[in-house]
Amino acid sequence: MPVVVACFKWVVDEAYIRRGAGGALDLSSVDYKIGEYDRNAIEEAARLRDAGGGGSVIGITVGAPDSAKGVKDGLSRGMDQAFFVSDPSFKDLEPSQTAAILAEVIRTRIPQYDLIACGEGSSDLYAQQVGPRLAELLGIPCVCFVQKLSLEGGKLVADRRVEDGVEVVEAPLPALVTVLPDINTPRIPGVKDTLMAGRKPVTTVKKEEIAGGFEGTLKTEAMTASSLERTGEKLAADAAGIARFVDSLRKSGVIR
Amino acid sequence: MNFKLTEEQELIRKNIREFCVKNVEPIAAEIDEKESHPVDLFKKLAEGGWMGIPIPTQYGGAGADYLTNAIVVEELSRACSSTGFTVSIHVGIACMLINLFGTEDQKKKYLVPLATGKHLGAFVLTEPGAGTDVMAATTTATKDGDAYVLNGTKTFISNGPIADTYLVFCWTDKAAGRKGMSSFIIPKGTPGLKPGEHFHKMGLRSSQTSEVVFKDCRLTKENLLGAEGAGMVNAGAAFDHGRVGIAAQGVGILQAALDESIKYSKERVQMGSPIARHQAISWMIADMATDLQAARFLTYYAAWLKDNKLPFTKDASMAKLFAAEKAMHHTTKAVQIHGGYGYIKGAKVERLMRDAKILEIYEGTSEAQRMVISGTVLR
Repeated sequence: MPVVVACFKWVVDEAYIRRGAGGALDLSSVDYKIGEYDRNAIEEAARLRDAGGGGSVIGITVGAPDSAKGVKDGLSRGMDQAFFVSDPSFKDLEPSQTAAILAEVIRTRIPQYDLIACGEGSSDLYAQQVGPRLAELLGIPCVCFVQKLSLEGGKLVADRRVEDGVEVVEAPLPALVTVLPDINTPRIPGVKDTLMAGRKPVTTVKKEEIAGGFEGTLKTEAMTASSLERTGEKLAADAAGIARFVDSLRKSGVIR
Repeated sequence: MNFKLTEEQELIRKNIREFCVKNVEPIAAEIDEKESHPVDLFKKLAEGGWMGIPIPTQYGGAGADYLTNAIVVEELSRACSSTGFTVSIHVGIACMLINLFGTEDQKKKYLVPLATGKHLGAFVLTEPGAGTDVMAATTTATKDGDAYVLNGTKTFISNGPIADTYLVFCWTDKAAGRKGMSSFIIPKGTPGLKPGEHFHKMGLRSSQTSEVVFKDCRLTKENLLGAEGAGMVNAGAAFDHGRVGIAAQGVGILQAALDESIKYSKERVQMGSPIARHQAISWMIADMATDLQAARFLTYYAAWLKDNKLPFTKDASMAKLFAAEKAMHHTTKAVQIHGGYGYIKGAKVERLMRDAKILEIYEGTSEAQRMVISGTVLR
């Protein structure tokens, strides 16, 4: 009966980002969501719990207080309880700080666990650092790029996607995995899942309660939309047109 | 004053939206074309608990409020109006009426399978000669000892060919006037109950509509919903709840018309710029967005009144009237914005325009809504 910790981040839902004047990103009316890969991590944690005939899924997130809705969202996706580490300054944490806070909370508040599941990267920064750093801080094995996972006899067996194929690895538990989207299809919570989520236990941990006192150090200097400029040049499909096309690619430095 | 939805309502909206993008949008054009009821989709809706949102949990529902149900009907209708409507009439009328007026035994027997989505319900009132004029109905339930014997023909019955549970309104004592109508719960397969063939319609084509004929259909007192003679009161409650659902359906259609119009007008280039930059088009979109917001507020307000146990008959009619007429108006504009492409089968706006028209007709025509509203404000 495995105890699985699922780490997740409440991020801007990119579907709501608009392009403001001068190419700046307009975030004034955005909504938020649990990061895509983190949904896979929660789903995998719930799947392993159910496959193991019980146990529990403990969710944990670090973020600003307005991430509370994200905690409820996570609980509706199969988590049994959650730790919400919250402070207004936490929106500017950089990955090493997030990992350190998670490590501190897991060490002091979750006495026993078999596995920690993280998404391969967050949907906003996609730094892919929190998982491996967290494993390092806790001194447990870390397996990244996991696309298939099972727990058996005190160890995990994972399929890792590597450049040239799939690597099957084993690691003793407790361990940490970071998962890829193909590992599962996250559920869409039903009405009752959402309504029940509010009744599951949530432990809020404040910044003052964490040894180390973290202050967000990440500063966003500017954020602009990528743009694709069109030259509006029309080219015919004949030999002359193709010659002009090659010529213009050469002139603009695309080919040499 | 608070216009903010609860966290649960916001999350449920996102979840049903995701459900629709994955499960409803991809089949909407096809089920419209084939006029087919999507059985697998309704199994998934049942699994997610979307078929009994405002019904208490002990009767198989989710125990949420009516506003949440309106939000779900809106999002379903945004993807597929037929699907939104089928859920709306099932929950808003069939489930709600049994929940309001049913006995404990009736709730266990009929409401639980309905609210869990195992069964589908139908509201059986309209007759060939009795639409807005409910009093002109001719279907009767004649007493025969302890039994009732039903005879008559009902028409335009949504879910008629596929329902498991029919809520039927007919005269038990025509001479008693408004107090002479009663309502009955009749399960599918009852001898003497005969659903007809699916009608081919202009829009809302995957919603199944037919006649329902009663010929010496024998019922007992256990089939009676509420007291004998309470039919008109029950029908009034059915309309109040149902109209909030139709209003929500209109909001969903309006949202879809706006979504499509924004997307197309930004892509379509004429005279050197996207047509969204042409004032003729951008003003249509401004009006569409404004009426959408007004329709949504009217609808949510009517649902909020219901959830707060306040009278909402007039407000349900206002929401239904406004959302229906604006949906018709703006789906026509959405087709206009799309030009020839919007007139071709397969364009979503073409389906939206056909689906919108019925909103002005069923569960009380726009004229009937004006009768209700004026009757209240002129009182």
